[in-house]
Amino acid sequence: MAMLTTLVCFARVVCLCRAHYVTRLLLSWCMNCRPDVQIQITMTNMFLYLDKRDTMSQRSERRGIHVDQSELLCKKGCGYYGNAAWQGLCSKCWREEYQRARQRQIQEDWALAEKLQREEEAAYVSSHSSSQTQPPQSHSQQSLATFSKFEEKKTNEKTRKVTTVKKFFSPSSRTAPKKESHEGKAPSPSITRQSSIETDRVSRDFVEFLKTLQKPGREVHKQSRGFIESMGNKKDLSAEELSECVQDFYQGMSDRLLNHFKGSSEKVDRVMDQVEKYIMTRLYKSVFCPETSDDEKKDLATQRRIRALHWVTIQMLCVPVDEEIPEVSDSVVKAITDIIEMDSKRVPRDKLACITSCSKHIFNTIRVTKNEPASADDFLPTLIYIVLKANPPRLQSNIQYITRFCNPSRLMTGEDGYYFTNLCCAVAFIEKLDAQSLNLSPEEFERYMSGQASPRRQDDPAAWPQSGSRVNPALSQIHHNLKLLSNLEKRQQQVTEGAQNLQTELAEWQDSVAREVQEILERYPLEIKPRASAIDAENVENDRLPPPLQPQVFAG
Amino acid sequence: MAAAESLGMAAAGGKTYSFKVVLLGEGCVGKTSLVLRYCENKFNDKHITTLQASFLTKKLNITGKRVNLAIWDTAGQERFHALGPIYYRDSNGAILVYDVTDEDSFQKVKNWVKELRKMLGNEICLCIVGNKIDLEKERHVSVEEAEGYAESVGAKHYHTSAKLNKGIEELFLDLCKRMMETAQAEERSRGNGASHTSTARRGVQIVDDEPQTAMPAGGCCTSG
Repeated sequence: MAMLTTLVCFARVVCLCRAHYVTRLLLSWCMNCRPDVQIQITMTNMFLYLDKRDTMSQRSERRGIHVDQSELLCKKGCGYYGNAAWQGLCSKCWREEYQRARQRQIQEDWALAEKLQREEEAAYVSSHSSSQTQPPQSHSQQSLATFSKFEEKKTNEKTRKVTTVKKFFSPSSRTAPKKESHEGKAPSPSITRQSSIETDRVSRDFVEFLKTLQKPGREVHKQSRGFIESMGNKKDLSAEELSECVQDFYQGMSDRLLNHFKGSSEKVDRVMDQVEKYIMTRLYKSVFCPETSDDEKKDLATQRRIRALHWVTIQMLCVPVDEEIPEVSDSVVKAITDIIEMDSKRVPRDKLACITSCSKHIFNTIRVTKNEPASADDFLPTLIYIVLKANPPRLQSNIQYITRFCNPSRLMTGEDGYYFTNLCCAVAFIEKLDAQSLNLSPEEFERYMSGQASPRRQDDPAAWPQSGSRVNPALSQIHHNLKLLSNLEKRQQQVTEGAQNLQTELAEWQDSVAREVQEILERYPLEIKPRASAIDAENVENDRLPPPLQPQVFAG
Repeated sequence: MAAAESLGMAAAGGKTYSFKVVLLGEGCVGKTSLVLRYCENKFNDKHITTLQASFLTKKLNITGKRVNLAIWDTAGQERFHALGPIYYRDSNGAILVYDVTDEDSFQKVKNWVKELRKMLGNEICLCIVGNKIDLEKERHVSVEEAEGYAESVGAKHYHTSAKLNKGIEELFLDLCKRMMETAQAEERSRGNGASHTSTARRGVQIVDDEPQTAMPAGGCCTSG
């Protein structure tokens, strides 16, 4: 009992510090160990005391007043007393529950960590701007989000204290329901949520760039962000209206910059390029080929049209390009690659850069073929030819996107603008292309379009192989390679035959040698002559020896 | 002269004028030679350093004002005629070239003039250019006829020879001066209201804590 009193005193001290979770936890801990009435009374008093001290939390107030025996028991109904800090469970049930929840929590934590990282990246961006204090705040809210229910309405000051206490009782915080953790999430701007690696990189670059401008840079950043957010609410506007918003923004921004830099248009252009890159990377998804426009339908129509025109040749378009020259065919391939690559870019200016690069390759083909600088008379037909060969994906959408959202100063007068205009011309030409524009008779054109005839088959049959090899160097290369291959095969066969011959010869030789040896052996069989086995046999001098002495008898 | 500090092509701003000029005319009248002679002072040599002659720029300084000239060559073949409007949209000037030895090419110029006036009104400065005067002996378009026609449609007429480098500098210089005048006149008239609507619209759509005050209405294109 003495111990309990001490505990209550301790609880009171803690409660003066307003961290009544500690108190509550201590009390329920006592309760669970020694469930006896006196403690309960003490506890009830304690709660009442607490509630007098602290009426901030409605839930705890209700609990304090209405506390009774049944409410104090474990919610699982195991007969032991429950604990508020353990969600009204006894220690045993709590542990089971906790183990289960922890598994869930680990998975959630992973997801949360990922989200946090993304928000931190956004915070990195905004931390460089003076106006943005939201992300750090959101971070503290984030850590609180997993905390218990009745803290929701507390002020920031109190919640911060609680956060430290929370560390001691992390199990209880871990069990916070999933739903709540989402409620507590910082209301970060919706745009940052969809941020991908690319947009983050662009944002960082943008911030880095604006740092060099110092104060006006912050202003530019603030306005760009504000604009992006305002665009988020305008999703159901038509493409033209969206375009107008963006163009107005460009106009306003460049006017202000012009004022700031006192008319240095190069600087303004540099900043505007960055602004365009930043905002269009972020708006790309919602404004490229929007559902409110019929861009997609046009894309498909153009694609089909180009496919139907697959038979158009260099000669029909009068393209001054000789693809037999390796450098020319290389450039043609590069030009095709560039125009196809356009679709993968997000920023209008990057798309324009692809068109420009494609055009440069086209100029190169013309220069190499004709050995003079390309004029528009040469350039446009070649571009048309390249577009027909490449059939670039979403061509119309891309053109519309550039027209709508590119910074007009680039599009109107610059070199990029010229090439872009030519691309528009090429597409317009392809759409309206007819027999006359290819110098064909209408009947011919019809036959080609319907696939009944192909221009090549119409050629003089005698010229066919020649024109075939001229028209398609790849095909002749294949023929050449095939010839080489068949030669190789023949030679290999010869080698195999030779090898087989050699093998049989070798076998025969072996046989003949064996036979010969046998014959010789038969002819000269091995005869072993019996040898004299006498001791003296080896003594050559034996013959010469005098006969052995004979015994002689003398009469005596 | 404060108005001259900014100009019609708002984006270029400052004291620099940016003009877009399109070259129109039938194939083979010498459009490309003309512009190459002007920008690079080259004629018929192999031009190895120049990759292309379809888009060229020239920087000029006229009475203390900087001018950036962007010259857009257009495909002259008849089958591309319908694409003209895409090329000459937003251009400040047009140079219509014909070959003095080729009556047909002059007829083409007449067609272009009609079309341009219909589409762009009087905002565009037109120059009609009779090229190849080095072939005077084979002339098929009379000087009187050409100049009379030019005057009747409010265009200036020039005689040039890219081969001999005659009349080309004058042509472009004159054109630039006329375009500057047009741009200044346009600024003055625009200062009287046209741009206000766009500024007002801007204020509505952009979240912005210092909207119009930082930027006087039409600051880019009025004498403000």
